[in-house]
Amino acid sequence: MVLLETINLTKYFGGISAVKKFNFKINEGEIVSIIGPNGSGKTTFFNLVSGLYKPDSGDILFEGESLVGLRPDQISNKGIARTYQTLRIFGNMTVLENVLVGMHPRLQSNFFHSLLHTLKVRREEKEAREEAIKILSYFKGRLTGPRLNHPASSLSYANRRRLEICRALANHPKLLLLDEPAAGMNPSETIEMMEQIKEIRDKGYTIILIEHDMKVVMGASDRVVAMDHGEKIAEGGALEVARNPLVIEAYLGKKGAQIA
Amino acid sequence: MKKTFKKEKLLKWSRINRQVLIGAVLFLAFIFPLFNLLGWMGMVWVRLGVKVAVFVLLALGLNIIIGETGLLNLGYIAFFAIGAYTTAIFASPRLGFHLPFWLLFLLSGFFAVAFGFLLGLPTLRLRGDYLAIVTLAFGEIVRITLNNWESVTNGPGGIPGIYDPVIFGLRIDNNFEYYYLTLGLIILCLILIRNLKNSRFGRAWNALREDEIAAECAGIHVSMAKLLSFMVSSLFAGFAGCIFASLQKFVNPQYFVFMQSVLVVCMVVLGGMGSIPGVIAGAIALDTLPEIIRHTFAFWLPSFLGEDFLTSFPPLLQNFLFDFDRYRMLIFGLAIVLMMIFRPEGLIPSRAWQRELHEIDPRLLEETQMIRFDLEEEEKDLEV
Repeated sequence: MVLLETINLTKYFGGISAVKKFNFKINEGEIVSIIGPNGSGKTTFFNLVSGLYKPDSGDILFEGESLVGLRPDQISNKGIARTYQTLRIFGNMTVLENVLVGMHPRLQSNFFHSLLHTLKVRREEKEAREEAIKILSYFKGRLTGPRLNHPASSLSYANRRRLEICRALANHPKLLLLDEPAAGMNPSETIEMMEQIKEIRDKGYTIILIEHDMKVVMGASDRVVAMDHGEKIAEGGALEVARNPLVIEAYLGKKGAQIA
Repeated sequence: MKKTFKKEKLLKWSRINRQVLIGAVLFLAFIFPLFNLLGWMGMVWVRLGVKVAVFVLLALGLNIIIGETGLLNLGYIAFFAIGAYTTAIFASPRLGFHLPFWLLFLLSGFFAVAFGFLLGLPTLRLRGDYLAIVTLAFGEIVRITLNNWESVTNGPGGIPGIYDPVIFGLRIDNNFEYYYLTLGLIILCLILIRNLKNSRFGRAWNALREDEIAAECAGIHVSMAKLLSFMVSSLFAGFAGCIFASLQKFVNPQYFVFMQSVLVVCMVVLGGMGSIPGVIAGAIALDTLPEIIRHTFAFWLPSFLGEDFLTSFPPLLQNFLFDFDRYRMLIFGLAIVLMMIFRPEGLIPSRAWQRELHEIDPRLLEETQMIRFDLEEEEKDLEV
């Protein structure tokens, strides 16, 4: 079943088209990678889907419903969660609190119950905490134990990336948008991350992945979409796309492509 | 692993110390007026205690906006004014109303919240400086309205003769009773604030303070969360206003000037944004310091050193020391500049802001070292 579909999605910044007539489709349970050189519109695409930008034309359909015109929090409530290329963790909150914020829309307790800290709230908070710890333990012991109550800003770069993924998962999203999850990680961590992304998919999540590391792209994705100048230039299996002359040209330029 | 254990133990200790400290402060707050009965201090100090308590309430409320949500409100005293005038109008001979105190109390809170809502609705889309300017203007609008709406507020003349509150048949009419009433209210508000702070709403506020975009994409309704923060903080100002009006028996617009808003902001900033003990300390310090200094030079030192010791000072200095109130803002300005240079996170900082402002905190350094240590361990695990 198609989970997310964009039809002729277009976004201009001034006269420059960041995303141009972009058609994209992802089925439930898939991992689709988007690759492309810097400035090719990958992150703009994520910002469009998560509602941070309004598209100039075209449509975004999630489970058959249009997302255009919805606020980011409404889109999040529909079941799309994301991470950021430039990390956006809540640095002065603890690791646990970061994940609990991700759970915010799922928690039911209303204001007056919270104000009085009723039994219902206490029970919900306790359950939320337990679940948050469970989510954090996806990444083995890296974010749990004493680190639960450390400020997120004290985490290493790689662990911040992991924390962002946990925060996104806390909302039980149907679709997960990962923006360069392996950036800044060393080779062994990168491979570990790739395996974990696949594990997350096996738990029933659908994932769109932006990634530069071809090892991750090759290893994790079911399908690859290549972008350049906001347009889709290739689509298909990982190897197939990597060998596509247009893709090679986009990365290396015309001359480079000839040499290659 | 050994290191982790040691740290846990340290944390436990600091937690126990904290509880002892909170207990001690509470105890001191409770017995403070009794010093007067023992003859150790004058009634002035009990009265000052009530005033401090009212400002503690105000500072706690403002801290929700500034410290927890990260928005600057420069018109906070307007909500205090609305609470005070509600009480004044509905419990004085002015228009002939005399509502029971509990109703007045709720009504003051309600009106403050209602105005918080009205102000918040159109303005909370603004960020940073813009919001600060709008709130500043709102504060002035409220004061000018109170000054000119003669038929209801009696304009600059103010409203005199506010009735004493009666709670469960007990008439609150002396400073001791006011002190304990306000103290009780502070404790109630502290419990409510703590509850909120540890709920999804408090977390949403903190998330907004940290990163609005990430908070929004995590499903937090930004406008709603900000509006809620605005309204809750207005509620406390309304409560404080009600107590204040009953205590003073008189309100006039002159009391609710912009300078008072600034004073409350100073309490929050000097005390430590986002830190409840800090904010309380800030309110106490800024309210009592001028009095203490004035008393030191006007009464205590002369009684020790003889009545005429001041006359040996140059006239300008004499003037300064006697009329300390007039130079209060000068000293505050200096204090704030010095604080911003040497201790920007406030008197008793919350952990969050301390981290923000001191990158290399020794405690933090220890923490990061521990993490590095753990990471090395992990790498070894991976290699195997």
